[in-house]
Amino acid sequence: MIIEFTLNGKDQKFDVEPGEILLDLLRAEGNTSVKEGCKTGDCGACMVLVDGRAMTSCTLFAAQVDGKEVTTLEGLHDELAEELRREFIDAGAIQCGFCTPGVLISSYSLLTHNQDPTEEEIKAALDGNLCRCTGYVKQIDAVKRVAAEL
Amino acid sequence: MLQNVTNYHYPGSLDEALSLHNRESRSYFIAGGTGLALSESRQPIALIDLNRLGLDKLKTNSDTKKITVGATTKIQTLVKGQEITHIANDYLSESLEKVGSYPVRNAGTLGGSIVRPFPWSDVIPILLTLDATVEYYDGSHGSRSLENLYEKEFRSTLRNSIVTGLNISLPEEGVTMARFFKFARSEFDVSSLNLGCRVTIHDGRIAEARLVVGARPSFAQRLYEMEETLAGNQASDVSGRHFSELAKSSVEVGGDQKMSEEYRRAQVKKMTEDAINQIITDYDQRK
Repeated sequence: MIIEFTLNGKDQKFDVEPGEILLDLLRAEGNTSVKEGCKTGDCGACMVLVDGRAMTSCTLFAAQVDGKEVTTLEGLHDELAEELRREFIDAGAIQCGFCTPGVLISSYSLLTHNQDPTEEEIKAALDGNLCRCTGYVKQIDAVKRVAAEL
Repeated sequence: MLQNVTNYHYPGSLDEALSLHNRESRSYFIAGGTGLALSESRQPIALIDLNRLGLDKLKTNSDTKKITVGATTKIQTLVKGQEITHIANDYLSESLEKVGSYPVRNAGTLGGSIVRPFPWSDVIPILLTLDATVEYYDGSHGSRSLENLYEKEFRSTLRNSIVTGLNISLPEEGVTMARFFKFARSEFDVSSLNLGCRVTIHDGRIAEARLVVGARPSFAQRLYEMEETLAGNQASDVSGRHFSELAKSSVEVGGDQKMSEEYRRAQVKKMTEDAINQIITDYDQRK
Protein backbone atom coordinates (compact mmCIF):
# COMPACT_ATOMS: atom_id res chain seq x y z
CA MET A 1 0.00 0.00 0.00
CA ILE A 2 1.13 3.56 -0.67
CA ILE A 3 1.23 5.99 2.23
CA GLU A 4 2.22 9.62 2.19
CA PHE A 5 3.57 11.69 5.04
CA THR A 6 5.99 14.48 5.76
CA LEU A 7 9.29 13.05 6.96
CA ASN A 8 11.75 15.56 8.36
CA GLY A 9 10.09 18.42 6.47
CA LYS A 10 9.79 16.65 3.10
CA ASP A 11 6.52 15.28 1.70
CA GLN A 12 7.22 11.71 0.69
CA LYS A 13 5.44 8.62 -0.56
CA PHE A 14 6.31 5.14 0.67
CA ASP A 15 5.28 1.71 -0.50
CA VAL A 16 4.76 -0.24 2.73
CA GLU A 17 3.27 -3.53 3.88
CA PRO A 18 0.00 -3.05 5.83
CA GLY A 19 1.67 -4.36 8.98
CA GLU A 20 5.00 -2.58 8.57
CA ILE A 21 6.20 -0.91 11.75
CA LEU A 22 7.12 2.76 11.53
CA LEU A 23 10.44 2.08 13.27
CA ASP A 24 11.47 -0.36 10.52
CA LEU A 25 10.46 2.02 7.76
CA LEU A 26 12.34 4.95 9.27
CA ARG A 27 15.52 2.94 9.73
CA ALA A 28 15.28 1.52 6.21
CA GLU A 29 15.06 5.11 4.99
CA GLY A 30 18.36 5.91 6.70
CA ASN A 31 17.09 7.46 9.92
CA THR A 32 19.39 5.44 12.15
CA SER A 33 18.92 7.76 15.13
CA VAL A 34 15.70 5.78 15.59
CA LYS A 35 16.96 2.80 17.57
CA GLU A 36 15.41 -0.60 17.99
CA GLY A 37 15.41 -1.39 21.70
CA CYS A 38 12.52 -3.20 23.35
CA LYS A 39 10.01 -3.07 20.46
CA THR A 40 7.24 -2.92 23.07
CA GLY A 41 7.07 0.84 23.66
CA ASP A 42 8.84 0.68 27.00
CA CYS A 43 12.39 1.95 26.39
CA GLY A 44 11.87 5.05 24.22
CA ALA A 45 14.95 4.42 22.06
CA CYS A 46 12.79 4.68 18.93
CA MET A 47 11.11 7.95 19.92
CA VAL A 48 10.01 10.28 17.11
CA LEU A 49 7.76 13.28 16.86
CA VAL A 50 4.38 12.69 15.23
CA ASP A 51 2.66 16.01 14.61
CA GLY A 52 4.98 17.45 17.24
CA ARG A 53 4.22 14.88 19.96
CA ALA A 54 6.75 12.31 21.17
CA MET A 55 5.71 8.75 20.37
CA THR A 56 7.47 5.41 20.20
CA SER A 57 7.77 4.37 16.56
CA CYS A 58 7.97 0.67 17.48
CA THR A 59 4.31 0.72 18.57
CA LEU A 60 3.01 2.50 15.48
CA PHE A 61 2.21 0.95 12.15
CA ALA A 62 3.64 2.99 9.30
CA ALA A 63 0.11 3.24 7.91
CA GLN A 64 -0.96 5.12 11.04
CA VAL A 65 1.13 8.17 10.12
CA ASP A 66 -0.34 8.58 6.65
CA GLY A 67 -1.04 12.31 6.25
CA LYS A 68 0.95 13.25 9.32
CA GLU A 69 4.25 14.95 10.01
CA VAL A 70 7.03 12.71 11.35
CA THR A 71 10.32 14.09 12.63
CA THR A 72 13.36 12.11 13.68
CA LEU A 73 16.50 13.54 15.22
CA GLU A 74 17.97 13.75 11.71
CA GLY A 75 15.33 16.36 10.93
CA LEU A 76 15.86 18.54 13.99
CA HIS A 77 18.28 21.37 13.30
CA ASP A 78 16.68 24.46 14.78
CA GLU A 79 18.19 26.46 17.62
CA LEU A 80 16.46 24.42 20.34
CA ALA A 81 17.69 21.11 18.93
CA GLU A 82 21.26 22.36 18.55
CA GLU A 83 21.21 23.79 22.08
CA LEU A 84 20.00 20.44 23.44
CA ARG A 85 22.81 18.61 21.60
CA ARG A 86 25.42 21.03 23.02
CA GLU A 87 24.13 20.89 26.59
CA PHE A 88 23.83 17.09 26.59
CA ILE A 89 27.51 16.91 25.66
CA ASP A 90 28.59 19.65 28.08
CA ALA A 91 26.60 18.21 30.99
CA GLY A 92 28.03 14.73 30.45
CA ALA A 93 24.56 13.39 29.76
CA ILE A 94 25.77 10.91 27.14
CA GLN A 95 27.60 7.68 27.80
CA CYS A 96 26.97 4.74 25.44
CA GLY A 97 24.65 6.95 23.40
CA PHE A 98 22.03 4.35 22.50
CA CYS A 99 19.18 6.12 24.29
CA THR A 100 20.39 9.64 23.46
CA PRO A 101 18.33 10.31 20.31
CA GLY A 102 15.14 9.22 22.08
CA VAL A 103 15.92 11.33 25.13
CA LEU A 104 16.66 14.33 22.91
CA ILE A 105 13.33 13.89 21.11
CA SER A 106 11.44 13.74 24.42
CA SER A 107 13.34 16.78 25.71
CA TYR A 108 12.67 18.70 22.50
CA SER A 109 8.96 17.85 22.69
CA LEU A 110 8.82 19.01 26.32
CA LEU A 111 10.58 22.31 25.69
CA THR A 112 8.47 23.01 22.62
CA HIS A 113 5.30 22.79 24.69
CA ASN A 114 6.66 24.05 28.01
CA GLN A 115 9.59 26.44 28.02
CA ASP A 116 9.81 26.70 31.80
CA PRO A 117 9.46 23.14 33.10
CA THR A 118 9.93 22.20 36.73
CA GLU A 119 12.25 19.33 37.60
CA GLU A 120 9.19 17.14 38.14
CA GLU A 121 7.90 18.02 34.68
CA ILE A 122 11.28 17.17 33.14
CA LYS A 123 11.30 13.83 34.93
CA ALA A 124 7.75 13.14 33.77
CA ALA A 125 8.67 14.02 30.18
CA LEU A 126 11.59 11.57 30.28
CA ASP A 127 9.52 8.82 31.92
CA GLY A 128 9.24 7.00 28.63
CA ASN A 129 13.01 6.82 28.06
CA LEU A 130 15.22 4.18 29.64
CA CYS A 131 18.92 4.93 30.11
CA ARG A 132 21.09 2.24 31.69
CA CYS A 133 24.26 4.37 31.84
CA THR A 134 23.70 7.86 33.18
CA GLY A 135 21.20 7.52 36.01
CA TYR A 136 19.27 10.40 34.40
CA VAL A 137 20.71 13.12 36.65
CA LYS A 138 22.95 14.63 33.96
CA GLN A 139 20.18 14.42 31.39
CA ILE A 140 17.80 16.30 33.66
CA ASP A 141 20.56 18.86 34.31
CA ALA A 142 21.08 19.31 30.58
CA VAL A 143 17.37 19.95 29.97
CA LYS A 144 17.32 22.43 32.87
CA ARG A 145 20.29 24.27 31.39
CA VAL A 146 18.62 24.57 28.00
CA ALA A 147 15.35 25.70 29.58
CA ALA A 148 17.20 28.38 31.54
CA GLU A 149 18.46 29.85 28.29
CA LEU A 150 15.09 29.93 26.52
CA MET B 1 3.03 -6.04 17.42
CA LEU B 2 0.61 -8.02 15.27
CA GLN B 3 2.62 -10.29 13.00
CA ASN B 4 0.30 -10.77 10.05
CA VAL B 5 -1.62 -7.63 9.09
CA THR B 6 -3.19 -8.32 5.71
CA ASN B 7 -4.98 -5.04 5.07
CA TYR B 8 -5.11 -1.51 6.44
CA HIS B 9 -8.23 0.55 5.78
CA TYR B 10 -9.05 4.25 6.23
CA PRO B 11 -12.86 4.44 6.30
CA GLY B 12 -14.47 7.86 6.00
CA SER B 13 -17.67 7.08 7.89
CA LEU B 14 -18.96 4.88 10.69
CA ASP B 15 -21.04 2.84 8.24
CA GLU B 16 -18.05 2.27 5.97
CA ALA B 17 -15.97 1.19 8.98
CA LEU B 18 -18.65 -1.29 10.09
CA SER B 19 -19.07 -2.59 6.58
CA LEU B 20 -15.31 -3.19 6.32
CA HIS B 21 -15.42 -4.94 9.70
CA ASN B 22 -18.19 -7.24 8.47
CA ARG B 23 -16.50 -7.86 5.12
CA GLU B 24 -13.08 -8.84 6.50
CA SER B 25 -12.97 -12.31 8.02
CA ARG B 26 -10.97 -10.98 10.98
CA SER B 27 -10.37 -7.34 11.77
CA TYR B 28 -9.60 -4.89 14.56
CA PHE B 29 -10.43 -1.23 14.79
CA ILE B 30 -7.36 0.87 15.50
CA ALA B 31 -7.01 4.39 16.91
CA GLY B 32 -3.79 4.87 18.90
CA GLY B 33 -2.64 1.27 18.62
CA THR B 34 -1.05 1.11 22.08
CA GLY B 35 -3.21 -1.86 23.09
CA LEU B 36 -2.66 -3.70 19.81
CA ALA B 37 1.07 -3.12 20.22
CA LEU B 38 1.03 -5.70 23.00
CA SER B 39 -0.38 -8.43 20.77
CA GLU B 40 1.98 -10.86 19.05
CA SER B 41 -0.80 -12.68 17.21
CA ARG B 42 0.27 -14.40 13.96
CA GLN B 43 -3.31 -14.77 12.74
CA PRO B 44 -4.17 -12.85 9.57
CA ILE B 45 -5.90 -9.63 10.55
CA ALA B 46 -7.11 -6.47 8.85
CA LEU B 47 -6.88 -3.11 10.61
CA ILE B 48 -9.53 -0.43 10.28
CA ASP B 49 -8.26 3.02 11.21
CA LEU B 50 -10.84 5.16 13.02
CA ASN B 51 -8.87 8.39 13.02
CA ARG B 52 -10.65 9.94 10.04
CA LEU B 53 -14.15 9.68 11.52
CA GLY B 54 -14.02 12.87 13.58
CA LEU B 55 -14.29 10.96 16.85
CA ASP B 56 -11.76 13.16 18.63
CA LYS B 57 -14.12 15.94 19.69
CA LEU B 58 -14.93 17.16 23.17
CA LYS B 59 -18.44 18.48 23.74
CA THR B 60 -20.28 19.89 26.72
CA ASN B 61 -24.06 19.72 26.72
CA SER B 62 -25.44 22.05 29.36
CA ASP B 63 -29.03 20.77 28.84
CA THR B 64 -28.21 17.15 29.64
CA LYS B 65 -25.40 18.22 31.99
CA LYS B 66 -23.05 15.82 30.27
CA ILE B 67 -19.72 16.04 28.59
CA THR B 68 -18.83 13.80 25.69
CA VAL B 69 -15.28 12.80 24.93
CA GLY B 70 -14.74 11.31 21.47
CA ALA B 71 -13.34 7.78 21.48
CA THR B 72 -10.19 8.65 19.52
CA THR B 73 -9.29 11.55 21.82
CA LYS B 74 -5.69 11.10 22.95
CA ILE B 75 -5.29 10.67 26.68
CA GLN B 76 -2.69 13.46 26.80
CA THR B 77 -5.22 15.87 25.24
CA LEU B 78 -7.28 15.58 28.41
CA VAL B 79 -4.38 16.05 30.77
CA LYS B 80 -4.00 19.77 30.37
CA GLY B 81 -5.64 22.80 28.89
CA GLN B 82 -9.14 21.47 28.36
CA GLU B 83 -12.06 23.15 30.09
CA ILE B 84 -13.94 19.90 30.60
CA THR B 85 -11.13 18.28 32.52
CA HIS B 86 -11.86 20.66 35.39
CA ILE B 87 -14.80 18.55 36.53
CA ALA B 88 -14.55 17.29 40.10
CA ASN B 89 -11.90 19.93 40.67
CA ASP B 90 -9.42 18.77 38.02
CA TYR B 91 -9.87 15.07 38.85
CA LEU B 92 -9.97 13.98 35.21
CA SER B 93 -6.83 15.84 34.18
CA GLU B 94 -4.80 15.04 37.29
CA SER B 95 -5.67 11.36 37.33
CA LEU B 96 -5.13 10.83 33.60
CA GLU B 97 -1.68 12.33 34.00
CA LYS B 98 -0.81 9.22 36.02
CA VAL B 99 -1.60 6.92 33.09
CA GLY B 100 1.53 5.46 31.46
CA SER B 101 4.26 7.73 30.17
CA TYR B 102 4.11 10.73 27.79
CA PRO B 103 4.50 8.66 24.61
CA VAL B 104 1.79 6.26 25.77
CA ARG B 105 -0.60 9.13 26.55
CA ASN B 106 0.30 10.87 23.27
CA ALA B 107 -0.73 7.81 21.27
CA GLY B 108 -3.29 6.07 23.51
CA THR B 109 -6.98 6.93 23.33
CA LEU B 110 -9.88 6.74 25.76
CA GLY B 111 -11.86 4.51 23.40
CA GLY B 112 -8.97 2.09 23.05
CA SER B 113 -8.81 1.73 26.82
CA ILE B 114 -12.46 0.65 26.81
CA VAL B 115 -12.34 -1.66 23.81
CA ARG B 116 -9.27 -3.48 25.16
CA PRO B 117 -9.98 -3.39 28.88
CA PHE B 118 -6.79 -4.61 30.49
CA PRO B 119 -7.24 -5.51 34.18
CA TRP B 120 -4.46 -3.08 35.11
CA SER B 121 -6.12 -0.19 33.26
CA ASP B 122 -6.02 3.14 35.07
CA VAL B 123 -8.46 4.77 32.63
CA ILE B 124 -11.35 2.44 33.50
CA PRO B 125 -11.38 3.09 37.29
CA ILE B 126 -10.96 6.82 36.62
CA LEU B 127 -14.00 6.83 34.33
CA LEU B 128 -16.03 4.50 36.58
CA THR B 129 -15.50 6.94 39.41
CA LEU B 130 -17.19 9.55 37.20
CA ASP B 131 -20.15 7.28 36.25
CA ALA B 132 -19.16 7.31 32.58
CA THR B 133 -21.30 5.74 29.90
CA VAL B 134 -20.02 4.23 26.66
CA GLU B 135 -21.46 5.39 23.35
CA TYR B 136 -21.24 2.96 20.46
CA TYR B 137 -22.45 2.47 16.93
CA ASP B 138 -23.56 -0.91 15.58
CA GLY B 139 -25.69 0.40 12.73
CA SER B 140 -27.59 2.56 15.15
CA HIS B 141 -26.31 4.60 18.07
CA GLY B 142 -26.41 3.03 21.52
CA SER B 143 -25.21 3.81 25.01
CA ARG B 144 -24.47 1.67 28.06
CA SER B 145 -23.04 2.34 31.47
CA LEU B 146 -19.31 1.65 31.67
CA GLU B 147 -20.16 -0.52 34.66
CA ASN B 148 -21.55 -3.11 32.24
CA LEU B 149 -18.21 -3.36 30.44
CA TYR B 150 -17.28 -6.73 31.87
CA GLU B 151 -20.64 -8.35 31.12
CA LYS B 152 -20.53 -11.01 28.41
CA GLU B 153 -23.44 -9.52 26.52
CA PHE B 154 -21.94 -6.02 26.40
CA ARG B 155 -18.53 -7.41 25.38
CA SER B 156 -20.28 -9.23 22.58
CA THR B 157 -22.07 -6.03 21.50
CA LEU B 158 -18.79 -4.13 21.50
CA ARG B 159 -17.09 -6.77 19.34
CA ASN B 160 -19.40 -5.79 16.49
CA SER B 161 -19.62 -2.07 17.25
CA ILE B 162 -17.49 1.01 17.10
CA VAL B 163 -17.05 2.82 20.40
CA THR B 164 -17.68 6.44 19.45
CA GLY B 165 -17.26 8.19 22.78
CA LEU B 166 -17.62 8.39 26.52
CA ASN B 167 -20.27 10.41 28.31
CA ILE B 168 -19.50 11.82 31.70
CA SER B 169 -22.24 13.39 33.80
CA LEU B 170 -21.39 16.73 35.29
CA PRO B 171 -21.52 16.44 39.08
CA GLU B 172 -24.77 17.40 40.76
CA GLU B 173 -25.17 20.52 42.80
CA GLY B 174 -22.67 20.70 45.64
CA VAL B 175 -18.95 20.38 45.85
CA THR B 176 -17.50 17.36 44.11
CA MET B 177 -13.96 16.23 44.71
CA ALA B 178 -12.11 13.10 43.80
CA ARG B 179 -8.76 11.40 44.15
CA PHE B 180 -6.99 8.72 42.15
CA PHE B 181 -4.06 6.69 43.46
CA LYS B 182 -2.01 4.03 41.79
CA PHE B 183 0.68 1.68 42.97
CA ALA B 184 3.18 0.57 40.33
CA ARG B 185 6.74 -0.76 40.47
CA SER B 186 7.98 2.21 38.45
CA GLU B 187 6.58 5.37 36.88
CA PHE B 188 6.06 3.67 33.52
CA ASP B 189 4.98 0.22 34.71
CA VAL B 190 1.32 -0.76 34.68
CA SER B 191 -0.57 -0.53 37.94
CA SER B 192 -0.31 -3.27 40.54
CA LEU B 193 -3.30 -1.64 42.22
CA ASN B 194 -5.28 1.56 41.68
CA LEU B 195 -8.15 3.30 43.40
CA GLY B 196 -10.51 6.12 42.49
CA CYS B 197 -12.72 7.88 45.02
CA ARG B 198 -15.28 10.62 44.36
CA VAL B 199 -17.44 12.41 46.91
CA THR B 200 -20.14 15.03 46.37
CA ILE B 201 -20.91 17.12 49.43
CA HIS B 202 -24.10 19.16 49.62
CA ASP B 203 -24.66 21.53 52.56
CA GLY B 204 -21.97 19.77 54.57
CA ARG B 205 -23.46 16.30 54.04
CA ILE B 206 -22.09 13.60 51.74
CA ALA B 207 -24.74 13.28 49.03
CA GLU B 208 -22.99 10.72 46.88
CA ALA B 209 -19.81 8.64 46.93
CA ARG B 210 -17.96 6.40 44.50
CA LEU B 211 -15.11 4.06 45.32
CA VAL B 212 -13.52 1.94 42.61
CA VAL B 213 -10.57 -0.42 42.94
CA GLY B 214 -8.72 -1.67 39.85
CA ALA B 215 -5.81 -4.02 39.09
CA ARG B 216 -6.94 -6.24 41.98
CA PRO B 217 -5.30 -7.92 39.88
CA SER B 218 -8.58 -8.62 38.09
CA PHE B 219 -10.89 -6.02 36.54
CA ALA B 220 -12.04 -2.91 38.40
CA GLN B 221 -14.68 -3.27 41.12
CA ARG B 222 -17.02 -0.70 42.65
CA LEU B 223 -17.38 -0.98 46.41
CA TYR B 224 -21.13 -0.37 46.73
CA GLU B 225 -21.38 -1.12 50.44
CA MET B 226 -18.68 1.41 51.13
CA GLU B 227 -20.38 4.04 48.92
CA GLU B 228 -23.71 3.57 50.66
CA THR B 229 -22.11 3.75 54.10
CA LEU B 230 -20.33 6.98 53.23
CA ALA B 231 -23.42 8.70 51.81
CA GLY B 232 -25.53 10.64 54.29
CA ASN B 233 -22.70 11.36 56.74
CA GLN B 234 -21.79 14.87 57.79
CA ALA B 235 -18.47 15.57 56.04
CA SER B 236 -17.05 16.98 59.25
CA ASP B 237 -17.67 13.65 61.02
CA VAL B 238 -15.99 11.48 58.44
CA SER B 239 -12.62 9.92 59.15
CA GLY B 240 -10.70 8.10 56.45
CA ARG B 241 -9.30 5.62 58.97
CA HIS B 242 -12.79 4.42 59.98
CA PHE B 243 -14.04 3.91 56.42
CA SER B 244 -10.81 2.39 55.17
CA GLU B 245 -11.41 -0.65 57.39
CA LEU B 246 -14.67 -1.28 55.54
CA ALA B 247 -12.92 -0.93 52.18
CA LYS B 248 -10.26 -3.39 53.28
CA SER B 249 -12.79 -5.99 54.36
CA SER B 250 -15.22 -5.61 51.46
CA VAL B 251 -12.84 -5.42 48.49
CA GLU B 252 -12.24 -8.62 46.53
CA VAL B 253 -8.53 -8.87 45.81
CA GLY B 254 -6.12 -11.62 44.86
CA GLY B 255 -2.40 -12.14 44.86
CA ASP B 256 0.01 -12.34 41.95
CA GLN B 257 3.74 -12.00 41.31
CA LYS B 258 3.57 -8.25 41.94
CA MET B 259 1.64 -8.16 45.21
CA SER B 260 0.29 -10.68 47.66
CA GLU B 261 -3.42 -10.63 48.49
CA GLU B 262 -2.62 -9.41 52.00
CA TYR B 263 -0.46 -6.55 50.76
CA ARG B 264 -3.06 -5.54 48.18
CA ARG B 265 -5.74 -5.44 50.86
CA ALA B 266 -3.52 -3.33 53.10
CA GLN B 267 -2.86 -0.96 50.20
CA VAL B 268 -6.60 -0.59 49.52
CA LYS B 269 -7.02 0.41 53.17
CA LYS B 270 -4.23 2.99 52.96
CA MET B 271 -5.38 4.44 49.63
CA THR B 272 -8.98 4.70 50.83
CA GLU B 273 -7.91 6.43 54.02
CA ASP B 274 -5.74 8.91 52.13
CA ALA B 275 -8.38 9.56 49.47
CA ILE B 276 -11.17 10.29 51.97
CA ASN B 277 -8.97 12.39 54.26
CA GLN B 278 -7.63 14.46 51.36
CA ILE B 279 -11.12 15.03 49.96
CA ILE B 280 -12.47 16.14 53.33
CA THR B 281 -9.47 18.42 53.90
CA ASP B 282 -9.99 19.92 50.43
CA TYR B 283 -13.64 20.47 51.21
CA ASP B 284 -12.85 22.18 54.51
CA GLN B 285 -10.43 24.51 52.76
CA ARG B 286 -12.97 25.38 50.05
CA LYS B 287 -15.79 26.19 52.49
